[in-house]
Amino acid sequence: MSRLLFVVPPLTGHVNPAVGIAGELAARGHDVAVAGHARVIGELVPPELPLLALPETLGEADRADIVARSRALRGPASLKFLWEDFLLPLAAAMAPAIDAAVDEFRPDVLVIDQQAIGAALVARRRRLHWATLATTSAEFDDPYGVLAGLGQWVADLLRDFQLAQGVPAAEAAAGDLRFSDELTLVTSVRELLRNPDVPGHVAFVGSTVGRRVRTASFPWEWLDPDREAVLVSLGTVTREAGGRFLRAAAEGLLGLAARAQAVLVAPPGLVDDLAAAAPDDLFVAPFVPQVDLLPRLSAVVCHAGNNTVCESLSHGVPLVVAPVRDDQPIIGEQVVRSGAGLRIKFGRAGPTAVRAAVTSVLDTPGHREAAGRLRDAFAAAGGVAAAANRLEKLAV
Amino acid sequence: MSVQGTAGPGGPGRAEAEARVLGEVTEDLREVIGEEYVIDMDITMETTFSHDLEVESIEFVALADRLRERYGEAVDFVGFLATMDVDQVINMRVGEVVRFIVDSLPAPAVAGSA
Repeated sequence: MSRLLFVVPPLTGHVNPAVGIAGELAARGHDVAVAGHARVIGELVPPELPLLALPETLGEADRADIVARSRALRGPASLKFLWEDFLLPLAAAMAPAIDAAVDEFRPDVLVIDQQAIGAALVARRRRLHWATLATTSAEFDDPYGVLAGLGQWVADLLRDFQLAQGVPAAEAAAGDLRFSDELTLVTSVRELLRNPDVPGHVAFVGSTVGRRVRTASFPWEWLDPDREAVLVSLGTVTREAGGRFLRAAAEGLLGLAARAQAVLVAPPGLVDDLAAAAPDDLFVAPFVPQVDLLPRLSAVVCHAGNNTVCESLSHGVPLVVAPVRDDQPIIGEQVVRSGAGLRIKFGRAGPTAVRAAVTSVLDTPGHREAAGRLRDAFAAAGGVAAAANRLEKLAV
Repeated sequence: MSVQGTAGPGGPGRAEAEARVLGEVTEDLREVIGEEYVIDMDITMETTFSHDLEVESIEFVALADRLRERYGEAVDFVGFLATMDVDQVINMRVGEVVRFIVDSLPAPAVAGSA
C-alpha cells in the first residue's frame, strides 16, 4: 500500500475531481490525505479523507475582494488577474506549508492540482514523485491560439516564480510547474481535443466524479414524464455573477414549457417570481443533485465549466454553453467542435437566444448523437479507476 | 474581392484609407462574432476587442482568416497578434488593427475597393 498526498487550490471545481480520485485510492486501501485550505474546501472533502489544513493566507475581506474584482474581468484581463493576483501569491504562501505537510505525511506520491504551483515547486525541489492533476483540458488544446504572447507570458511568469524561489535557472527553464514529466492526469477525453495526440505520460481519464459530500435533495416527482427536462447551471463560481443570464435563461425556457421543464440552479431571490408563476414548468434551487439528475435530462445549459461539461457528456446529454472566462471559452469550443452542443454569449444572450439554442439542441439529432459518441469515449477513459491505476504505478 | 492598395503612412489619403479599412474590419468583426448585439453596436477606432466586443481567442483566429482573405499575405495579422503581450491584448482597440492594416497595405493608392 502506498501513501498519496493530494494538493488542491481553494477552488471548488478543482476539489471535486481530486476528491473523487482520492476516494477511489482510499477505498483500495492506500493511505490518502488532502492538503488544502480548510475554510474553502473543508465541506467538499469527505470525513474518511484526512485533511491537512494549509494556512489561510487570505482573510474573508481579501477573499471577497478578489472574487469581486475577478467577476468584472473577462478574457486576457482575467488570465492576468488569475495568475498575478491569485495563483502566484497562493503558490508562494503554500510552498512552506507543503514542505511541512510532506515532512508530516511522508507521501510516496504527490498528486498536485495544475494550479497548485507551490506544491509542484516543493515536489520538484525535493525530487519527489509527483503527478499533475489537470481539472480542465484547456492547456492541452492550444488555449492561446493566435495570441501566442499570452501563452509566453504565463510561461515566463512561472519561470520567474521559480527563479525567485531559488530554483537554478537551467532547471526553471526546463520544467514547467503546470506539467509533471512523470504523469499528468486530465479530467476529460482526448476526443474533445483539436489534436488528440498526447504524450504517453499524459493520461485523459474522463470524468472523475466520486461521492459528493454535499448532495442536495430534489423533488423527483416534480419531473413530468411527458416532457423533456433542461438543467441550467453556472457552476459554483459564476452563478452569483450570472443573474442577468440566469433570468434570461429562465424566461427563454418558460417559452418552451409545452415541451420542456426547466431546472435552474440559482441563488435565492433571482428568479423566484418566475418559478412561483409557473410552478409546474420551472424549478429553482441553490443546489441540485446534478449527477443524479443527468440521466433524466435532455439538455444542459451551462457556463462551459469543465466538470459540468464532462459530467453531461459522460451521460450523453448535449449542451448549450455560455462561456464566461478562464478555460471556459476553450471548453465551450470543444463542445461546439464535437457537435455535442451550441454556444451562446454569456454577456449578451437574451431569452430568445437561449430558447433558440435549446430548441435546436433538442431537435437536432446530430447533437445527441455527438454527445452519445462522447459518452462512449468517457466510459472508455475509465474515470476514477483509471486515474487510480496510473497513480498506483507511479507509487511503486 | 481584393484591395489594390492605398496611400502610405501619413499620405494625403490616410484618413480616407483608415475610414475605409475601419468599415471593412467592422464588417468582418460583425460576421465573426455573428451576434445581434454587435450588429447594433457602433464600432469605432476606440472600440476595445476585450471589453467592448468580448472577442475570444478563437474569434481572433476567425478574424485572422477573414483579413487574410480580404487583404492577402501583405497584412500579417497573425504576426501582429503574436508580438503582443498580455497588457497589449487586454487594451487592444480596433483603431490599432486598422492602422496596422493601412500600414501593411502596399502603396501607391488606388481608389476604391469592394
